[in-house]
Amino acid sequence: MSVPFRAVLRSEWTKLRSVRSTWWCTGLYLLVVGAAGWLAAAGSGAAPRADVAVGTTLIGFGGGQLILVVLGVLAVTSEYGSGTALVSLTTVPRRIRLLLAKTIVVAVYCALLTAVLAPLCALAAVVLTDVPGGIPLLEPSVLRPLGLQVGAAALVGVLAVGLGATLRSTAGAVGLGMALVFAVPPALALFDGQWAETLSRSLPALRVGEDAFLAATSPWQIGMAVIGAWAVGAWLLGAILLLRRDA
Amino acid sequence: MIEIEALTKTYRSRIAVDDLTVTVEPGRVTGFLGPNGSGKTTTMRCILGLTRPTSGTVSVLGRPYRELARPMRRVGALIDPRARHAGRTAYAHLQVLAQSNDLPRHRIDDVIELVGLESVAHERMRGFSLGMNQRLGIAGALLGDPDVLVLDEPVNGLDPEGIRWMRGLLRDLADEGRTVLVSSHLMSEMQDTADHLVVLGQGRLLADCPMSDLLGRHAAVRVRSPQASLLARALERAGAFAEFDGDTALWVEGLDVSQVGDVAYLSGLRVHELTEVTASLEDAYLALTEDEAEYVGAVA
Repeated sequence: MSVPFRAVLRSEWTKLRSVRSTWWCTGLYLLVVGAAGWLAAAGSGAAPRADVAVGTTLIGFGGGQLILVVLGVLAVTSEYGSGTALVSLTTVPRRIRLLLAKTIVVAVYCALLTAVLAPLCALAAVVLTDVPGGIPLLEPSVLRPLGLQVGAAALVGVLAVGLGATLRSTAGAVGLGMALVFAVPPALALFDGQWAETLSRSLPALRVGEDAFLAATSPWQIGMAVIGAWAVGAWLLGAILLLRRDA
Repeated sequence: MIEIEALTKTYRSRIAVDDLTVTVEPGRVTGFLGPNGSGKTTTMRCILGLTRPTSGTVSVLGRPYRELARPMRRVGALIDPRARHAGRTAYAHLQVLAQSNDLPRHRIDDVIELVGLESVAHERMRGFSLGMNQRLGIAGALLGDPDVLVLDEPVNGLDPEGIRWMRGLLRDLADEGRTVLVSSHLMSEMQDTADHLVVLGQGRLLADCPMSDLLGRHAAVRVRSPQASLLARALERAGAFAEFDGDTALWVEGLDVSQVGDVAYLSGLRVHELTEVTASLEDAYLALTEDEAEYVGAVA
């Protein structure tokens, strides 16, 4: 009888929670995104509609998701940096199983953190922003940006794990991750023309509510599809390399 | 049991392991010797499925390592004692390993006690000495109570007390019927620990034999007699090779100690000393690897 998958999941969760970098990233993420949301709400004062007011408080996610990139990348690359990967691949020699367990743990952790954080940001709008008719928190137009944030966080986690498995180096994977989601999209905004806009839309730019942060905007369905495709692509590449390379 | 069949591993142009065929049997400690770069670690990594062989096959307990259902229950491995996240506590490190193979939690406490790390189990591993890391590595290898142990240089960095402890542990594990493969470059240590030797040089098999064979091959007899030159002639007539060591002593090769005594008795010659001198493993090993060492200093 082989080892049940939940045992591997539990082991990966112990890995994630037993190192300090996870808790630094968690604290920083909550603090930066939360503080940015409340500051933005305090600064705006009034908004014409509820979804606009809530969208304003989510501004911190643009930069905050970079912390999730670091968290996800470290979950993989710290194993290679320290040599723990040797031990992990000896105890769980079915490599895709190992990567899958790690990916699920990281993605669920990112999603859960965001599921706590996004409503806290929205609360800032309720408390601080004047909106005609108030802010009904259970309206679909308010819930959707929050839900998108949770989904995007999970996908960013998957992307980060994929990049980590592909590059095996913390500096390389964090650098590439940041370039993809944070640096290249605004750089493209400096160029005019259809090609720059198309390229910008096809990069996995971080999403704030329904808008791409620092990138050409596109409908949320397309935005999530783009980041999803990048996450799956990076993950598959990492998985293939993990199978083919010597540990 | 570990079966290695025509194993070859090449890295670009360098051959790390060259057509190696060896069977590591249970119930004894097999010492895995060779100079640096002779392919010991590469072979062990191939056994554990970490490195893919260029050609040839390796099986553990009859199947490739990657196909073992609960690997830690079958094979315990120590490849690199420093291969772990320094920011984790020793306990958390073992917990990660135990959970990954669904092993019962009490095994963690069992192995921590076995290797004597109770007092530092809940400290971060950052400050651990090499000796402590080796003990922790052994703890990890034994977590699943495995049938096979693959240990790369487990004695390295241990203090004398630790070395004695490790020697006893390996002996006990082999006596319980397990397969124990231990690599080392500390020849003197292997001499006291291993029953069987596998010696590599530049990736090729140089010896696969009982420890006593390798030592016996390089044994000599020292005999002291006031009639040394007469004795030398008598011994050479009996087919031995005798060499003077001073005026009254001889080094004799080709006859064992009782045969030398008998020759002296039958020739009516007096003997003041008769000793069998076993070559140290170090000497035997050097004799084997002399031509093979990859990094011999140039002789002027």
